[in-house]
Amino acid sequence: MKVFIYALSTCPWCRKAKQFFKTNNIPFDFVDYDLQSAAEQEKIMEKMLKISGAGSFPVVLIGNQVVVGYNPEKYSEILGLKKGAIA
Amino acid sequence: MKPGSRKKALRYFFQRVVDPLGYKFTPDEEMADFLLEQEVILEQKHGIPFCPCQGLTKNREENMKIVCPCIPFHREHFDAMKRCWCGLFVHKDVTNPDELPQIPVSQIMRKEG
Repeated sequence: MKVFIYALSTCPWCRKAKQFFKTNNIPFDFVDYDLQSAAEQEKIMEKMLKISGAGSFPVVLIGNQVVVGYNPEKYSEILGLKKGAIA
Repeated sequence: MKPGSRKKALRYFFQRVVDPLGYKFTPDEEMADFLLEQEVILEQKHGIPFCPCQGLTKNREENMKIVCPCIPFHREHFDAMKRCWCGLFVHKDVTNPDELPQIPVSQIMRKEG
């Protein structure tokens, strides 16, 4: 299942989300919104507002599911990880 | 001003703002320190200590709603979570901030609606 994270470099919850997938050996791609050009940020924010309706980070796409915020239980549930997956 | 001094100043100022709103700093000192540090960096870059977990846009009016402490602009959302989005502030009765997940605003408004 493809995983993509919309993140901010300043956000500790975005870091925790990235760490969750690293620790559980799940490959993922990400973009740090605040480190992009203004034009790119505009495109990303447009997508995020469509997906989540807000500019709050992190937004995690797992397959066709969207999880707004750091929510390791939800990530595990969607990925079918056993209870006790490392958060 | 040195980042350490600015962090202290923000902490002093924020405390006075959030206390009457029923909030306090998260008891997770490490998290509070990290978030304040990010806010000092954001303030150095933009002139304003924005929330480190919400994205700035070209819309100044919207950006003003994520100036820390942004509780008044997101009252219903944050009161439902008992924390602000980044977790720098929690309700005064919270002792374990780890038990408070981030809940998207769309989910909370759906529940209430």
